[in-house]
Amino acid sequence: MSLPPFVPHPPLAVRAERLVKRFRSGGPEDRAALAGVDLSIPPGAYLSVEGPSGGGKTTLLNLLGLLETPTEGEVFFAGVPMGSARERDRARRRLTGVGFIFQRFFLIPTMTARENVELPLRALGRPRAERRARAEELLREVGLSRRLEAYPHELSGGEEQRVAVARALANRPGLLLADEPTGELDRANGEAVLQLLEQLQRSSGASLVVVTHDPKVAARARRHLTLEDGRIVSDSAPE
Amino acid sequence: MSARSCTGGRLRHARLQTVLTVLGLAVAVALPVVLISVGDGVASHELAQLESSAFQITVSAAGEHGIRNAHSMADSLDSIGPVAAVSPVLSDAIDLFPPGQAAIPLLAEGVEPGPFLATLAPEETALFPHPLPLGDPLDSRHWANGTYQGPATQLLMVSSPIARQDHLAIGESVILAAVPNRTGGVPFVLSGIFGLPPAVLGPTAAFAALLPLSDLQLLTGNALGSGGVERDAADTVEVGLSGSAATDPATVTRVAAEIQAAYPYYAVTTETQAISQEEGAAAILEGFYWALSSAALAVGLLFLGLVLVRRVETRRTSIAVARAIGQPARQIARALALEALGLAAVAILMGIFLGAAAVGLLDLLGSPTVREAAGLAVFDIGTLALLAFVVSGLALAASLLATRAALRLPLGGSLR
Repeated sequence: MSLPPFVPHPPLAVRAERLVKRFRSGGPEDRAALAGVDLSIPPGAYLSVEGPSGGGKTTLLNLLGLLETPTEGEVFFAGVPMGSARERDRARRRLTGVGFIFQRFFLIPTMTARENVELPLRALGRPRAERRARAEELLREVGLSRRLEAYPHELSGGEEQRVAVARALANRPGLLLADEPTGELDRANGEAVLQLLEQLQRSSGASLVVVTHDPKVAARARRHLTLEDGRIVSDSAPE
Repeated sequence: MSARSCTGGRLRHARLQTVLTVLGLAVAVALPVVLISVGDGVASHELAQLESSAFQITVSAAGEHGIRNAHSMADSLDSIGPVAAVSPVLSDAIDLFPPGQAAIPLLAEGVEPGPFLATLAPEETALFPHPLPLGDPLDSRHWANGTYQGPATQLLMVSSPIARQDHLAIGESVILAAVPNRTGGVPFVLSGIFGLPPAVLGPTAAFAALLPLSDLQLLTGNALGSGGVERDAADTVEVGLSGSAATDPATVTRVAAEIQAAYPYYAVTTETQAISQEEGAAAILEGFYWALSSAALAVGLLFLGLVLVRRVETRRTSIAVARAIGQPARQIARALALEALGLAAVAILMGIFLGAAAVGLLDLLGSPTVREAAGLAVFDIGTLALLAFVVSGLALAASLLATRAALRLPLGGSLR
């Protein structure tokens, strides 16, 4: 049986309803990182999430990306409740629909740049030749065609983040989630990575959610959200 | 300390743990390799000796020198149809006094020279001169119907190590005594020397002597009992059957039953029974070796499981990234299983090598008995394959611990 052709996943409409996330604090009461968040992200949206540290930005991103399960509430992907689904189903949804970019890049240190980009495609079971071609195409797009076989420790911070962007796009996701993508980069590299991300987001039609401390980074998005104490305190374009 | 050097330190620590665990597992594998190879080798050797012996039935009695009227019994058993040779054997410790030398303690065997040769295994027969130079082949003249009034030959054979060590030559006169005192001894003439690779007759045979049964009986007080009543004692009587009867289990069993009926107070065992008993004992011992080894293997595999869990912990970020991307659980489990199998394979190969090296060292440096046993070791491919299979299976089970740990990593917490 041959694999079906690998086509881009359609941009996703993602909706969060009354999301609550509490963590054990060690004290008598659990700490609420999110305290009832409602949010709708239409396909192709470019959204920034700002707010002070501990305001719940990363927790919201983890819940939207199905990395964690909400204590209360639900996350819907194209109308399907996924937030509290079984880990197996959430993993499948992450694999086919979500791309992650982390502040600290999180490349696998024992793999080359190309192998890191191939990772989601290997998990999808795509053939080797297709994986190589796709990884090389993406690394060319992010300007690293000469660094295919470099290991993460041989790359600069900016290069590492560009590999991470290529990896996030490898499975042609409908939703891109970036947690402080420029937090570890200098101004020039940060700018380059943001431009790249925006360009790839436009060309792929995926929704992009960027969590950031930096007002300048946040200002680039079409929609701005501010979280404080686990609640949305401002939304430039509520849906 | 930078994050990178801290990570490096953790990795080195994890590597050291891995090396130590693989070494521990290798030692755990080496243990059964040594025990089973040596145990199986010795058991196979003993079985081969049993199977190659030229007698098929053994009569024995409880206690020391428990058989009475050995000469008469041999004559009587000789009359049973398929019986070709009946060899009563008395074993006792005596002292040999060469001229002008101190006593040499010996294990002496009293035999009827003709039947004794006829009941030796082929590889033993070659060690003795034919006929044995011990005079009367049936030892009947000196025995003289239980009176012991016939002419004694007073001839003696010793093993080549004794002859070499004490410079004894054929024709030399020596004194034999049942106690370490020359004055109570009897003069004998050394009439022959038998050759001796100890591996064939066992280490005790290295200092052995052979003399006519009646002579040893008189020397050790096993000829006549109190009041001059005939004892004519022996320890065993070995019965060899002739021609095809020797290899026919039904005939062997029938003759054994006939002997048992005639001598109900003695134990009559057939070679088949002895082999079966030997095989049973070998199987019990092998089970014991496996049980002993499985304790060592269990500890080794517990550590392997812990090391695998530790490796998951060391690589928690990479594993969390793979899971965040959506890598299926079965792919993660497969990768960890392959890792466990890889470590187990290294441990198995090292263990087999270590085991073989240990057996080699025992063969080189052990006491004579240990050297002899180590020299018989058999490295059976089937047993080694079974061991490898068991260790691999257990390593796979250990990898389940690591898989569980990997799948329970909190993704949000691991990627902050």
